[in-house]
Amino acid sequence: MPSTSATSLLQGTLDVLILKALALEPMHGLGISRRIAQVTGGTFQVKPGSLFPALHRMEEAGWLSAEWGESDRNRRAKFYRLTKAGRKQLKDETDQWARISAAMASALETP
Amino acid sequence: MTFWRPMRMLWRNLARRRRVEEDLDEELRSYRAMLEDEGLSRREALMEMDGMERIKEEVRDVRLGATLGQMAAELRQSLRGLRRNPGLTVVGTAMLALGMGASTVVFSIFYSALMQPLPFRDVGRVVELAETRLARGIGEAAFSEANFWDVRAQNHSFSDVATYHYDEANLTGAGPAEKVTQIEVSPEFFATLGVSPVLGRDFSSQADHGGQDAVVILGNRYWRTRFGADPGILGKTLRLDERAFTVVGVLPPGEPWIDEQTYVPFPHRPDADRSSWEFSVIARLAPGVTPQSARADLQRIAGTLARAYPKDDAGIGFHVEPSSTWVAGATTRRALWVLLAAVTFLLLIACLNLANLLLARGMSRQREIAVRTALGASRGRLVRFVMMESLLLSGFGAVLGLALAYGALHAIQALEIRDIPRLADAGLHPWVLGFAVATAILTGVLSGMAPAWQAPVSRIAAALREGDRQTGSRGQGRLRAVLVTGEVALSFLLLVGAGLLIRSFTQLMNVNRGFQTENRLLFAVTFPGPYRQNGAGKHFLDRFFEDLAAMPQVIAAGAVNQRPVEGLNFGMGIDAAPPRQAGRRAPWAGWRVVSPGYFRAVGLPLLKGRWFDERDRPVWAERGQPEPDRRVVISERLAKLIFPQEDPIGKRVALWKGQGLMEADVVGVVGDMRERGLASDPTLTVYLPYGRNALPGEFVVHTRGNPMAVMPAIRAAITALDANLPISDVRSFDEVVHRSVGQQRFQTLLLGVFSGLALLLATTGIYGVLSYAMSRRTAEIGLRVALGASGGSILRMAMVQGMRPVLAGLGLGAVGAWWLSRYVGSLLFGVKALDAVTYCAVAALLAITALAACYVPGRRAMRIDPAVALRIE
Repeated sequence: MPSTSATSLLQGTLDVLILKALALEPMHGLGISRRIAQVTGGTFQVKPGSLFPALHRMEEAGWLSAEWGESDRNRRAKFYRLTKAGRKQLKDETDQWARISAAMASALETP
Repeated sequence: MTFWRPMRMLWRNLARRRRVEEDLDEELRSYRAMLEDEGLSRREALMEMDGMERIKEEVRDVRLGATLGQMAAELRQSLRGLRRNPGLTVVGTAMLALGMGASTVVFSIFYSALMQPLPFRDVGRVVELAETRLARGIGEAAFSEANFWDVRAQNHSFSDVATYHYDEANLTGAGPAEKVTQIEVSPEFFATLGVSPVLGRDFSSQADHGGQDAVVILGNRYWRTRFGADPGILGKTLRLDERAFTVVGVLPPGEPWIDEQTYVPFPHRPDADRSSWEFSVIARLAPGVTPQSARADLQRIAGTLARAYPKDDAGIGFHVEPSSTWVAGATTRRALWVLLAAVTFLLLIACLNLANLLLARGMSRQREIAVRTALGASRGRLVRFVMMESLLLSGFGAVLGLALAYGALHAIQALEIRDIPRLADAGLHPWVLGFAVATAILTGVLSGMAPAWQAPVSRIAAALREGDRQTGSRGQGRLRAVLVTGEVALSFLLLVGAGLLIRSFTQLMNVNRGFQTENRLLFAVTFPGPYRQNGAGKHFLDRFFEDLAAMPQVIAAGAVNQRPVEGLNFGMGIDAAPPRQAGRRAPWAGWRVVSPGYFRAVGLPLLKGRWFDERDRPVWAERGQPEPDRRVVISERLAKLIFPQEDPIGKRVALWKGQGLMEADVVGVVGDMRERGLASDPTLTVYLPYGRNALPGEFVVHTRGNPMAVMPAIRAAITALDANLPISDVRSFDEVVHRSVGQQRFQTLLLGVFSGLALLLATTGIYGVLSYAMSRRTAEIGLRVALGASGGSILRMAMVQGMRPVLAGLGLGAVGAWWLSRYVGSLLFGVKALDAVTYCAVAALLAITALAACYVPGRRAMRIDPAVALRIE
């Protein structure tokens, strides 16, 4: 898997990945970054230069809410959690991705 | 929720900026610390973070209100810039304040005259009706009483038809006798208009119009000025012409129709008159009826009336006038549009001038802008930055301009120009303020456009390299020359307009009026009903004239039924009897009832025959008396028209031709006069003798010395005869004429002021551009001088450079003025819209002023010392 794909991360893709990463539990920035790398098998390495603007934008859009808490190693960190609007957004985007990937798959499988 | 959340975020980002920033700092710090916890070195962690500041900047950019914050910073910066440059700030603000103040004044007058809605409900459905006799060239006349009642009864198009009859009455019993307007209105008049009294009630058709009780409704203005807005006025009694009327209501404020002093019911009379056109008629279209179908309906009624009453109604038709023309007639409309256009041109000139100033200043800022560009400011942000300055200036200008407009408006209202409708209502209304704000923004954008366009986005390198030396590109010089061309062209338009109006006004004031105004006093006396019985009025007049003749200050005195220039013009068909020219329609002439002394008092020359004297009697027979020996005096033009080849003295004429048979002898011919105002052609006039049943109430007294000084003596003489006679409308004849040309004076004055300002602005523009260009060419000129160029040739070169855009502007302006001239033609008197004298004078004036403006920088260039100039280089 070429690592250059990480740079071509589309904005919409990043949003849905962040939403997905937060679907289970609240997380801080580094946690989100690590989780995304983990679930995409290292395809997407989210740098803080993309991560923080995205987090703040999504917070202002009302999809995330943020509060200060303690990390595993007793560090003060800002934790993000999905809001109700964020869950709805995740569902919408998941459906959309499913449609697109199904369409792409059938297009590419056609001999 | 969906609305409040962004609002809360915006508030947090803007107002708690520091906390938000600290929060972000801490978040990033903890991220880095956690990276180190994972075993990365401090350096690796920093690498991973890829520049903390850039991340912060990017987060800031996605925040709500990010643009607002940047703009606030730019605003502060622009304000600082303006403070550092007080010359530009003061001059720019002053220019825009003049332009915007002028345009606000004109717009507020324009708004209240033409745009402010009439104070009537559903006003689009209300129309005014008029009778016509198109075959006789009468396109709009008042109704006769009987025709009004017939149209009211027979139409199928209107939900209401109502009439308004102007009359006057003497109010007595409360202080000195006073003449008031007493409008007779038919049932549902106010309902037809769509107004209800603000106090009390409307007339009820049965009781009030039945005439059992005498009731009166007061106009709002009269209620306020005469009765101090007394809410307890209802039920009080007013004595009008010796009859007691009970006040039942007070109308709301507003014009037209409802701003007179008193209103009384006008009852239906079975024996209504059909021959006298005195009644204004309004109507409200029934739901679903279009004006077209109403016209067809009226046409049908006209046919019926013409057949039923051939004597009075032959050839009758009806005219339907929409309410939109009630307040301002075509000429006033045109005049206000022309003024609005003129003030727009003035504002444009101010914009061009400011653009010019900002461009010149832009030079010294090229470096700053280049640095900003190099640091990555986008084109949009640069344009915003440059425009911020012009917007700020136009904001200052707007504030100052509003203050100017406020003062100027009061000054104009103090002139009490009658012909500008609703002038007293003009003020800084919300619409006017909206206009001012819109103008300010537009002005700011317009004047910032050129400098913004010139911002050196694409030539950063050059701009940076040129360093501190203040230079301007060739393109910039050309752009500024184009701006000057525009200023000159617009000034040309304004000056031509003002020149035409000034010439027209001079012609108007110098036109042969036919009457004399010098040392003439005019006043009106209203005779109550009893004066019309048993010759009481004639008796009064004769004694009064005796008193006047005995006064040493009085040279001549007379009376007429309609005041010259200001009065109404009642007319009649008149022709020689028998007509000298067969098959021609009888001329239409105004008629005036006069006392013998009137001709001398008003200064009309006797051309043939004699003036009236005591032997002459009114043309109307008194009740129970035999038909009188009728004699008339006619005006010169009328005499020439109906007696082309004979001496009219002793010949017979038919009066009220087509309406009745009345013949009279011509005993005299007098000069023509501009009875209907200076701008109207001299009227064809027939003068009728006064008498017991023809009482003229408008007096003209020719005095020695100041006419107003004689008034106390005259007042005393009248009071001695009858203390209850109201005297009104006391004015010198000069003032009456002065008032009658109020609109012409107003438009001439305003356009004159505007064009003067335009000339001033254009001159500073021309001067500024050339001095700048010359200072840029200092080195070059120094070189030329060093190489032996004479001072004269340098001056010539400078003048040519300065005058080139001016000449282009003159050409453009002449073409524009020629094209626009069609719109001012109808405002002019005695001058053609393409008056060569005006055009040449304006071109010469502009050229000479421009030459003077070019001479100063040219002379400076001539004196450049080559040694100094080259050293600078």
